[in-house]
Amino acid sequence: MTLLELTDVTAFYGPVQVLEGVSLSVPDEGAVGILGANGAGKTTTLRAISGTVRSGGKIVFDGKDIRGMRPDKVAALGIAHVPEGRGTLGALTVRENLRVGAYLRKDRKGIESDIDYCLDLFPNLKERIRSHGSALSGGEQQMLAVARAVMAKPRLLLLDEASLGLAPSTAKNVYQAIGRLRQESGIAMLVVEQNANLAFTLVDTATVLETGRNALTGTSAELKGMDEIRRAYLGG
Amino acid sequence: MTKPWVRWAGLLLVIVVLVVAPLVLPQFMNQTLARIGVFAVAVLGLNVVMGYTGQVSLGQIFFVGVGAYVTAYGVNNDWNIALVFILAALIPGIIGLLISLAAARLGGLAIAMVTIALPLIGVPLAKRLSDFTGGSQGSSARFSGAPEWTGLYDDQWQLYIVIAVAGVVFLLTRNLVRGKYGRAFAIVKGNEAVASSMGVSPYRYKVLAFTIASLIGGVSGFLYMVVVQYTSPETMSFGHSISLLAAMVIGGAGSILGSLLGGAYYVLAPQVTNAIDSSLTAVMQGAILLVILFVLPGGLVSLPRLWRRRKREGPGKPAAGSVAASADRSPTPTAPPETPTTEVQEKRQDT
Amino acid sequence: MGTFIQLVIDGLSAGSIYGALALAIVLVNQATGLINFAQGGMAVLAAYFAYSFLQLGLPLILAILASVLASFVLGALIERFLMRRFEQGDPDTAVVVTIGLLTLITGICGWIWSYNNLQFPSLFPLQNINVLGAVVSIRSIGTTLVIVGIMVLLQLLFIGTKLGLALRAVAVNPQSAAFSGLPVGRLLMVGWGLAAGLGAIAGALIAPSLTLTPGMMDSALVYALAAVILGGLSSPIGVVVAAWLIGVLENLAAVYVPIIGFDLKIAVPFILIFIVLIVRPQGLFGRKDVVRV
Repeated sequence: MTLLELTDVTAFYGPVQVLEGVSLSVPDEGAVGILGANGAGKTTTLRAISGTVRSGGKIVFDGKDIRGMRPDKVAALGIAHVPEGRGTLGALTVRENLRVGAYLRKDRKGIESDIDYCLDLFPNLKERIRSHGSALSGGEQQMLAVARAVMAKPRLLLLDEASLGLAPSTAKNVYQAIGRLRQESGIAMLVVEQNANLAFTLVDTATVLETGRNALTGTSAELKGMDEIRRAYLGG
Repeated sequence: MTKPWVRWAGLLLVIVVLVVAPLVLPQFMNQTLARIGVFAVAVLGLNVVMGYTGQVSLGQIFFVGVGAYVTAYGVNNDWNIALVFILAALIPGIIGLLISLAAARLGGLAIAMVTIALPLIGVPLAKRLSDFTGGSQGSSARFSGAPEWTGLYDDQWQLYIVIAVAGVVFLLTRNLVRGKYGRAFAIVKGNEAVASSMGVSPYRYKVLAFTIASLIGGVSGFLYMVVVQYTSPETMSFGHSISLLAAMVIGGAGSILGSLLGGAYYVLAPQVTNAIDSSLTAVMQGAILLVILFVLPGGLVSLPRLWRRRKREGPGKPAAGSVAASADRSPTPTAPPETPTTEVQEKRQDT
Repeated sequence: MGTFIQLVIDGLSAGSIYGALALAIVLVNQATGLINFAQGGMAVLAAYFAYSFLQLGLPLILAILASVLASFVLGALIERFLMRRFEQGDPDTAVVVTIGLLTLITGICGWIWSYNNLQFPSLFPLQNINVLGAVVSIRSIGTTLVIVGIMVLLQLLFIGTKLGLALRAVAVNPQSAAFSGLPVGRLLMVGWGLAAGLGAIAGALIAPSLTLTPGMMDSALVYALAAVILGGLSSPIGVVVAAWLIGVLENLAAVYVPIIGFDLKIAVPFILIFIVLIVRPQGLFGRKDVVRV
């Protein structure tokens, strides 16, 4: 069952067209990667889905046309966007950040137990539960951002450059936790990553973007085997 | 681009008009034009600090008032008129310098927040220092009667003085803002962090701009006394302060020609709104300012440019630029390209 | 000594009003990033609402509550339909818009209710009591207590409730908040509404002594802005303390420093700012904020 389907999606920053026609689909409980160089339009694709950039084409989530919907409405449908830059609510504590993540939920007990689950998933956050978001390190902020998204009990997680600015070991930790999350919760994921190696530890299939279009699509195994991918993204 | 000879012909025409007009126009028109000139200078001063350098100032009318009071005092004590003129500019300038040295340190909207106090402090201060100012009664000074040898009427003489002085001030300011200082102001207005990184000290240029603005304000005060020949604490009231700011925005922020239009608006608009319905005058003025900000943020002076662009690009929403977006420096569009709505940013938290 | 205590308590009362207005300004600034120069004007309009409700026969306390409600709605509408356009842009432009709004509101007040001074009844009895040998007005004490009470309530709202959490989240990073499903636009409206309501209370409390005129809170705005400068935009507590300081000091200066006297009291906050600035450029309580490029 396809959870998310993009068909010939275009996107614009003002008069400038950044996406020329991107297509992909994410199956229920599946994980799909979006790879490519800087400026290829990976982040913009996620923004088109969450409604934070002007877009065209078709975006269908769970049978509903969501293209052009406001971000908070998209979130209400069950899509959680972990943005590039993390979007940490710096002046709020870690616990408060998590509470914000659960804003749309009404089940107090469920929220509390999910907070515990997140702290278990990301033990670093447990120690910092009372710290302000702005006091966290880059890696901790990334974990917080993912945890906040998880708190919304989403059906689809949009992960934007989760490894950006993180030391390799930290990035690996984050991805391991996300991998565990995927196994235990069955949340579908759309993962934008420049670090293809990391992405392939998580996703089943991926599409490679080049100047706003799909250049290659395939399963992780297929892509890893291709020379172009190896040379361009996997370092050999 | 207009050919050079067209430019020269245009300039010559303007000069001829300026020389001939006072002689042929009726008295009330000369007086009105003179008042427009007075406030065009005041608005020009405000433009230097606000339109060009991007610092909201609610204190310009205070400097005009100080200049007027200095003029009145000097004239009534028979000082040399040239000295009076210099002091009328210099004293407000020094006050402006001191204020900006402190206020500019705070960054952000501090200059706006501090200058709002100037008219509110100025009025009771003027009443208090009655030895200098004549207290609540105000101070009158008649010194701008036309001298015998000119054969002119008073209103014509006064208009010539205004034209001459305002002309010089406008020219000097125009050169200032088109030169390297003007570019520095624009950089500071655009982005202070970028300015610092380029070695352009926002603090220094804010102080410079504010001081120049207050100098020009003082000159405007001198001209005010030439034309009106009377000043009182009312001259620098809070209401006038806001009206002057509104006039600048409506005329055109960051524009020399816009300052002229602003002066005209300042003088003529109350007459028009009063004629329509005097009890609604404040409402109308507030409404006009808001409409301009929504529809024509570059002020009246940007109308021709907008019209030209509309014709070129066809129908479509005009870009909502900032108040001081229009510049008579170069033919650039009034608004920066739309930035993506997705920029994730922490809110600025400074004052 | 008696005079001193009297001046201090009166100063705290005035300072509370300035503080309430300053808090409203800070609230709006944290939510939408701009300084609302019309905050005082909106408070005056609210006081006029209360006045009209009084004319319609409502008891004072209900009239004031109704005006707070009306003010809340008006503040929300102003954010949605007037200010929304300017929130993402240049803060200086937004300030000019608020100045235009101030002119408009003042004009509307003058047009509907005239520019004459109107009598507004006091919420508190006009009696004095004896405190430590000083004669102190109940109104001053009452004003201070009411505003302190409201500030405490606001703090509780922000720290202890889901709405407060949402308001804070939106103030910090509206887009990030939207990703978590927060209705950013609606929350901004609530923020402005709360600020307007706060101003309404301040207006109703100060109107009895100043008498109601369209320009009634122009001076209070200046004091409030001075308190914001001194306290720092990032510190609600700092702003309130600064406001109290201003209120007390200006009263003391008016009496004990003849050069200043009553008519030049308004210069006091700025002398204060001047002095403080030399020592601490970021204000009394503000953090040394990093300007993000």
